Amino acid sequence: MNSTSDPGMDAILELKNVHAYIGQYHILQDVNFVVPRGSITTLLGRNGAGKTTTLKSILNNATVREGKILLNNKEIQGLPPYEIAQMGIGFVPEHRAIFRALSVEENLRIAERKKGDLDKKRAFIFELFPDLKRFLHLRGTDLSGGQQQMLAIARAMVPDNELMLIDEPSEGLAPVVIEQLIEAISELSKTSTVILVEQNFLVASKLAQYFVIIEEGKSVDHGLMVDLQQDKEKIHHYLGAA
Amino acid sequence: MKLKKNLRPAAVLAGIFLFLFVAARGMDPKDLLITTLRGFSTGSVTFLVAAGFSLIFGLLDVLNLAHGTLYMIGAYVGWTVYVRPDTFVDIMPLILFLMAGFSLRFLWDALSDRLNWSPTTIKIVGWVLVIIAIALALFIVPRYPIAGWALDDYAQSPTSYSFMVEQGTRLPAIHLDFEEISAPVAVIGLLLVSSMVSFGLALIRKQANQQHDLSPKKWITFIILVVLSLFFLLLNTTLTNFLFSLNSNWLFLIAVIIAALSGVGLGALMETTLIQPLYSRPIYQLMLTLGMSTIGVQLVRVIWGMPEFVLSKPTLFRGTGGACPASNLADLFEYNCTTIMVLGGRVRVYDEIFLPIVGIVVLVGVWLVLKKSRIGMVIRAGVQDSSMVETLGINVRRVFTLVFALGAGLAALGGVLGAPSNGLSTGMGEKLLLNALIALAVGGLTSYPGAALGSLLVGLIQQFMIKYGQIGIPIPFTDILFKPTPAIVPASTMLLMVIVLLILPNGLLGKQE
Repeated sequence: MNSTSDPGMDAILELKNVHAYIGQYHILQDVNFVVPRGSITTLLGRNGAGKTTTLKSILNNATVREGKILLNNKEIQGLPPYEIAQMGIGFVPEHRAIFRALSVEENLRIAERKKGDLDKKRAFIFELFPDLKRFLHLRGTDLSGGQQQMLAIARAMVPDNELMLIDEPSEGLAPVVIEQLIEAISELSKTSTVILVEQNFLVASKLAQYFVIIEEGKSVDHGLMVDLQQDKEKIHHYLGAA
Repeated sequence: MKLKKNLRPAAVLAGIFLFLFVAARGMDPKDLLITTLRGFSTGSVTFLVAAGFSLIFGLLDVLNLAHGTLYMIGAYVGWTVYVRPDTFVDIMPLILFLMAGFSLRFLWDALSDRLNWSPTTIKIVGWVLVIIAIALALFIVPRYPIAGWALDDYAQSPTSYSFMVEQGTRLPAIHLDFEEISAPVAVIGLLLVSSMVSFGLALIRKQANQQHDLSPKKWITFIILVVLSLFFLLLNTTLTNFLFSLNSNWLFLIAVIIAALSGVGLGALMETTLIQPLYSRPIYQLMLTLGMSTIGVQLVRVIWGMPEFVLSKPTLFRGTGGACPASNLADLFEYNCTTIMVLGGRVRVYDEIFLPIVGIVVLVGVWLVLKKSRIGMVIRAGVQDSSMVETLGINVRRVFTLVFALGAGLAALGGVLGAPSNGLSTGMGEKLLLNALIALAVGGLTSYPGAALGSLLVGLIQQFMIKYGQIGIPIPFTDILFKPTPAIVPASTMLLMVIVLLILPNGLLGKQE
């Protein structure tokens, strides 16, 4: 299956026939899609379809055995994860992975790629997440779930990342917090491209312009979010009740 | 809730101290003081090993059973530099050239990527290269001209050499019965050996699509190592004479530094060549480090021979003349006394004051690095989730190597510093590793303060039990004086561990998972 992209479209990331493994398990079996620069693209699909593995394979946290991953038209598959990240990818993992032994401030500072990254972004981050400023000296895990999610996103924003991979940000959060989250993600998408894995279809449809559907490790459909929202039958077919 | 959680360790701790001091109530105050100080001393040496072990386990998830061996090697290396600086100067070019070859790994990686052979061919060629290189090393090393030492001299009179060193007498050099090859040929041969090994490893572990940075800055390590080894090679006589002209204090300092560095180097080598390929296989790691500890002990036997050595204290801690044993600090500093009188008891300055100070300095130093530096922050984060640290763009594998090397260096430092009070023997590593493991189980396996607390407790219990073996424990409310046999010393630390683990399965300061 070929990814059909506009010839004129400026792609920041492209996955071509990607097969990826976690341990012995062949999770991704032919994933293809293109992420247009400056967009929010959401990966949709049922639980266990391979959405998280797709994000992991971009960072080589899942072993890519076949296919190509192009970042700015440069092959990145097989490189060590830290080198891929240094090319400008920020990752907000599923369970936030806030560092327990570090304060909120240190959780941000550790993401610096060069000295002064944090000081440059400090004002912007605190404007987006005022809570973090108040709890700067608390331990990362003393925060509430929502605040931890904010911290995880803020951490990915510290260096100049042109691509953000965000995995299940709304999971387990109260509706009020989700509102805040949507605002934050749309704000940060002004400066970087976002790939969003989201179970909550409402959240995904509020944020994303493009979608990719992954089913049983294959990318089965993609297109504009506005078109998908009209197509109740397709939503039901791929995602169950939405 | 929080109070309740913290109450248990506090209660256990209070119980341990209560036992120690109730049992000690019949003790002379000076005995109590000296035994406590000895506990701190033993605890400090144990801590140097335990701290590295716990950092390595915390970050890398590797139970390094060869850690005791590194401790032992530190002691033997320090002994060699201290007693036979000529041997040390002779052997340095060999080691540095060997390291220089390994530092070219990046080159071999790039080269192996250019080869279009089939995977099987590549693997076979890789292994053949490694095997040939090892054979070559076994051929070269015994023929390399090193000033050796007549082991019997030490076996008969373990302290005689120190007086010889002080008087500037050199021990006769003995050589193995091989025809010598010239030093330059040998070091070039060793460079070849290490290049072949690292090229072989590059082939064996070849991965697809790696990008290689061959920029000039990658060569810096190699150039530094070559320059250093040429320095040792060309200035051999000058350096040897210089080292022999130093007094024992400076020589001891140099020996301590070199021993610690040897641990760092050995640790880095171990991590990059042996541990790294086994990161996802904990059982193999265990087998590997266990095997390495056995190999290490045998290697030490081959290189240094069987006898047990004593490393005499530097003159700074060995004065007996004048107003020694010192009754005040002024006398102590003036006459460099071995002992100082405190409460009417003789306190050995090196063993019971210097070692605990070193222990505390290292404790605080490592703690500051962990808390205040960026690398410390990365380590603390990596202990929890090293893969997340890596996806932030940090080369966490390099931090792994660094932590392993520093942990090994701490163990080697413990070995050389402990040698003047504990002596050297090939069993010293295993004995200490066992104590360090008990200390970590008591303190909490991945907790840094836990390593310190556990080591201190193990040291105190050991020393108090030794003392009780001499004076007996008065059993409360009876006239019975219980005299433990010497066998109770190792048993008592085990008992401590069992009691603590029964009440607190994660140790005193370990976190509940």
